[in-house]
Amino acid sequence: MNALRNVGLVLLLVVSACAFNRGTLGDDIKPDVVNTIKKSTTTKAEVVTLLGAPDRILQVNGRDVFQYYRYDAKAGSLLLIILNFSRLSVKSDDLFILLNREGLVEDVISSRRTEALEFRFWPFGD
Amino acid sequence: MPRRLPGQFLTPVIVALALTTGACNVARVTLNTTIELNDVAFIEPGRTTLSDVIAKLGAPDSMTDSDNGVVVTYRFLDVRYSRVNFGWLVKPWSPVDPDLVFSRLGLGVDAFQILCDSNLVVQHRSFLRHLAGPQFSPYPF
Repeated sequence: MNALRNVGLVLLLVVSACAFNRGTLGDDIKPDVVNTIKKSTTTKAEVVTLLGAPDRILQVNGRDVFQYYRYDAKAGSLLLIILNFSRLSVKSDDLFILLNREGLVEDVISSRRTEALEFRFWPFGD
Repeated sequence: MPRRLPGQFLTPVIVALALTTGACNVARVTLNTTIELNDVAFIEPGRTTLSDVIAKLGAPDSMTDSDNGVVVTYRFLDVRYSRVNFGWLVKPWSPVDPDLVFSRLGLGVDAFQILCDSNLVVQHRSFLRHLAGPQFSPYPF
């Protein structure tokens, strides 16, 4: 019990504050909406109706590619008495919709990296 | 054993307090997870398709058109910053608020690029390596 009290006392003396911050850019790309997009069936207009206007339109191999993205940032700060540690982690969700020359969806490429994003304080290591 | 005077305790306490009021900062910013050589060892130019790559690595950050096909890029960033303010050491004895700051920022911009042909088969792959430099060393010289 004494050891526990001492650890608590040391923590109180050493950790003066901590902070959690978060920032996002763009709307969440909902997987259930992405799953409704079918190859060779869904049209360009339907994609826009489902997801809104794309963040970027690319031309790849003569085909249109709609790109949607979302960024999520989580920052943790540990304000010790001697040292301040901060770490900001940023990850992105990206969705690419490849359209053929007829305006139908040819392929859907998506990933959700932000699901694994955590608040981290320790700046060292990976 | 002679008793120590309060003044003898005071100096180390003041120095400790000066040191312990946020004189040092260590910060890091990362964008996406770094892709290592082992992560891309499965890619065989001429055989692996873009779909195979996406299945393993997820969606890329950008796709751009080129004369020879499509360039797919995965980007990651690693920024390391450290700062020490030696001015805090003399703060207890100085009438002004002195600063003597050593700091250093290492900006690591990294990318993994794949060139695919018109059938979206990988033709080339390569890393762009601009690493962040020393591990949190505030010494700028």
